[in-house]
Amino acid sequence: MGIGAPVRRVEDRRFLEGKGQYLADLDIPGTVDLAFLRSPVAHARLKGVEIPEQYRGQVFLARDIDFVKPIVAVGKAPGFKYSEYPPLARDKLRFVGEMVAMCIARGRAAAEDIAQACVLDFEELPAVWDMEVALRDGAPLVHDDWTDNRFVTTEIKAGDLEAVKAAAAVRVEKSLRMGRHVGVSMETRGVLAHYDNRLGELVVWSSTQFPHVIRTVLAQSLGISESALRVVAPDVGGGFGPKNNFQPEELAVAALAMKIGRPVRWIEDRREHFIASPHAREHRYKLVAYADKAGRILGIEAEVMVDAGAYSVWPWTAAMEAGMAAGIMTGPYDIPVYHGRAITVCTNKAPLGPYRGVGRTGACFAIETLIDAVARAVGRDPQEVRIANMVQPSAMPYRSVTGKLYDSGDYPECARRAIAAIEPEKVRARQQRGEPDGRLIGFGVASYTEQSAHGTAEWVARGLPVVFGYEPALARFTPDGKLILFVGIQNHGQGLETTLAQVAHQELGLPVSDVIVRHGDSSTSPYGMGTFASRSMTMAGGAVSRACATLAEKMKRIGAHLLQAPPGEVRLADGKVWFGEQSVGFAEIAEAAYLHPERLPTGEEPALEANAVYEPGRSTGAFSYATHACTVAVDPGTGVVEVLDYVVCHDCGTIVNPMIVEAQVVGGVAQGLGTALYEEIPYDENGQPLASTFLDYRIPGPTEVPDVRVLHMETPSPHTRFGIKGMGEGGAIAPPAAVVNAINDALRPLGAEINVTPVTPERVLEAIAAAGAAR
Amino acid sequence: MKVPVSLTVNGERVAAEIEPRTHLGDFLRDHLRLTATHLGCEHGVCGACTVLVNGEPVRACITLAVSIDGAEVKTLEGLQGEALMETLKAAFHEKHGLQCGFCTPGMLISAWDLLKRRRDLDERAVRVAMSGNLCRCTGYQGIVRSIMAAAEKVGAAAPSTIKEPLR
Repeated sequence: MGIGAPVRRVEDRRFLEGKGQYLADLDIPGTVDLAFLRSPVAHARLKGVEIPEQYRGQVFLARDIDFVKPIVAVGKAPGFKYSEYPPLARDKLRFVGEMVAMCIARGRAAAEDIAQACVLDFEELPAVWDMEVALRDGAPLVHDDWTDNRFVTTEIKAGDLEAVKAAAAVRVEKSLRMGRHVGVSMETRGVLAHYDNRLGELVVWSSTQFPHVIRTVLAQSLGISESALRVVAPDVGGGFGPKNNFQPEELAVAALAMKIGRPVRWIEDRREHFIASPHAREHRYKLVAYADKAGRILGIEAEVMVDAGAYSVWPWTAAMEAGMAAGIMTGPYDIPVYHGRAITVCTNKAPLGPYRGVGRTGACFAIETLIDAVARAVGRDPQEVRIANMVQPSAMPYRSVTGKLYDSGDYPECARRAIAAIEPEKVRARQQRGEPDGRLIGFGVASYTEQSAHGTAEWVARGLPVVFGYEPALARFTPDGKLILFVGIQNHGQGLETTLAQVAHQELGLPVSDVIVRHGDSSTSPYGMGTFASRSMTMAGGAVSRACATLAEKMKRIGAHLLQAPPGEVRLADGKVWFGEQSVGFAEIAEAAYLHPERLPTGEEPALEANAVYEPGRSTGAFSYATHACTVAVDPGTGVVEVLDYVVCHDCGTIVNPMIVEAQVVGGVAQGLGTALYEEIPYDENGQPLASTFLDYRIPGPTEVPDVRVLHMETPSPHTRFGIKGMGEGGAIAPPAAVVNAINDALRPLGAEINVTPVTPERVLEAIAAAGAAR
Repeated sequence: MKVPVSLTVNGERVAAEIEPRTHLGDFLRDHLRLTATHLGCEHGVCGACTVLVNGEPVRACITLAVSIDGAEVKTLEGLQGEALMETLKAAFHEKHGLQCGFCTPGMLISAWDLLKRRRDLDERAVRVAMSGNLCRCTGYQGIVRSIMAAAEKVGAAAPSTIKEPLR
């Protein structure tokens, strides 16, 4: 049941019985529903809101909650422009979906009726609907007091690029685009706020990934003390990053509940989720690789441009996506020279926030398609070139050209295993034979490193308002001998109620079924940072381990005393302390500790609980890595791409629960396939989002995702407890690169090449037509 | 304006006065407090709100409650203890067929309906049959394995004689 066992999840029961309690399931008496009146236009001066007479008292504008502070997220990079994100628009509308007014009624439908009855008075401005439009001379400004539409530009210059240019046998250029996304948790976002008169505190329920941190920023924004605020994340139906920001909706709903003294809830509808929840990706790349004639890469120049939308999200800032993409660009490769530029552009679109893979999905798409292009330029097999350029295991720990410290692993071996599993010789034979239905077969590979569980050093380097350096745990036995773990992370599908219990089992030897994990409530758990950045298993696992190790020593001392045994000669197993064949159960020990201190050894403190705080040995992160390999079939007549086979070989250090790890990988791959092939919110020249339902924004369904084969390697991290590395995001990083490489392999006979995601049928046909025209 | 509606929900007669625009999902959740039925899109695509109406799977979010006046409705709560559903739940637990749990009730109802009709299922058939239900966490692998394991279990116990085409 300990580390490494495929323990079935303890949290399953409530979900299988339909008894999970998500935000919309809460039943607080007297709750009114809130619908936001949102901007129908991308860019306008807001002149007023006409509220029908019969609805006065049910509609609230920015001036009605003027006691709140706007959201401010300014990065520390030089030149980062200051902006304020007000929860409700005041004088300017900056994206379709921006909140203007709050309408409340009994029932959501009635609240929407009110929103629809209000009339917005505005003067429309030209929309900044695309990055290129935003950067044109004389472009309209999203923020009037700025000099241009750039949040910030940062640069990395490592090594002598001029020398590389002179030495290189080949120079390969590439331009790439990755579409704009949304996270699409199946449960949308939501907030319910009410005042607890007995405790004198505002209680804010939110479908969030980090309730403690939300309490901090919400208290600051509302102008109240954190001691008068409780933030609770109930069961959360998927997060993936968009629930890992301070949401303006959280601030607006909490402020209104304070103002009117009634419970208020807002449940995001799917359209709001598409147009107004924090968006993801939308990258453009200009890349140049310099290589020798064998394809060994000598240096890379990269420009990453990201459309961060209208506002800077807290705490990540608008610059996170471009900064991370530029900072991890060289991936698993030993590339000595790198010049990177990250440009974060401001447009009239929904603000961009973190989404599974953050930055790295784009960076992987860039470097991995570039590697294939270099291989073609020198006439070698892309997989040979890929492996030849990788950091070798003998070089570990390895400091990358961008200053990342890769802690451990065997990248080439991982790539070889993934490639072997896809059986390239069979794919090649099939290509030679041709398909009876005329489809073209291709095979593609992509590798990456995933920085996970990064602590103080990394977050300080990024200059964020919060440094997510540690994670706490409080381990407490009940007087009847069960263990409750109070943790600051938030479990929303990752199985942490099970895996943290496995860690407790590892230290204390008690059954997993005797361990309860409590999380998600700022009033019950010690202050913690939440679940994101593939950090919870490593960080909270380390904290639980430490707290339980302290308890284990105390259990042994008390158990030995009760058994009249020497303290050094007892052991823990099966929920008991053993001395030879004699044993005493945890229930009896806990009873002594709480209810019968007279039974304790002299000098032993009563009670049975321990606090611990964990930071990894090095706070620069534990680097997981993987290679994905896939086979696709492309129909040159319709442009439709089918993924025929998909293999992942990955290494996330010590595996706590292989069943859960495999499922996290597969779930990530499914999202990555969405990025690769299906998901995009395009905007038209008026700044209108063109996808706002599941009919025009397609996420992969059961028939779009193949039966992914997952191969595990286990190289423990030297920096973390048990050698665990994070792995929650990884699955979503490589699919766009692997799939596009496979598609381009398939299209080679036609001379066509794809350099954009999602690879829709239309884009495949365009690429084929362009190749035909060029011939 | 409110209109009367009466339904049999999980074996119990319920009668209420509701606005005609109230969809079955809201009626179950808000009026009857049956919150196992989840609303994931409210435009009839994601399948999280799938319930049984007169024995057939239906999307509660695009079914007006008044339009099925007199019908028999079953939600996941109403299938508690039912043999096939319990087999499915055990399989979802064993094969890790759920992560965040939000799509799970709809998945279970659709899978239950599938196994009522078909048990000779291969992986592809399960994927096609379940393509009306979206999940963002699992990548479907655990769900498909769970349903196949449940099919094998009930198939061995009592071979299905019903061979309807896949709906």
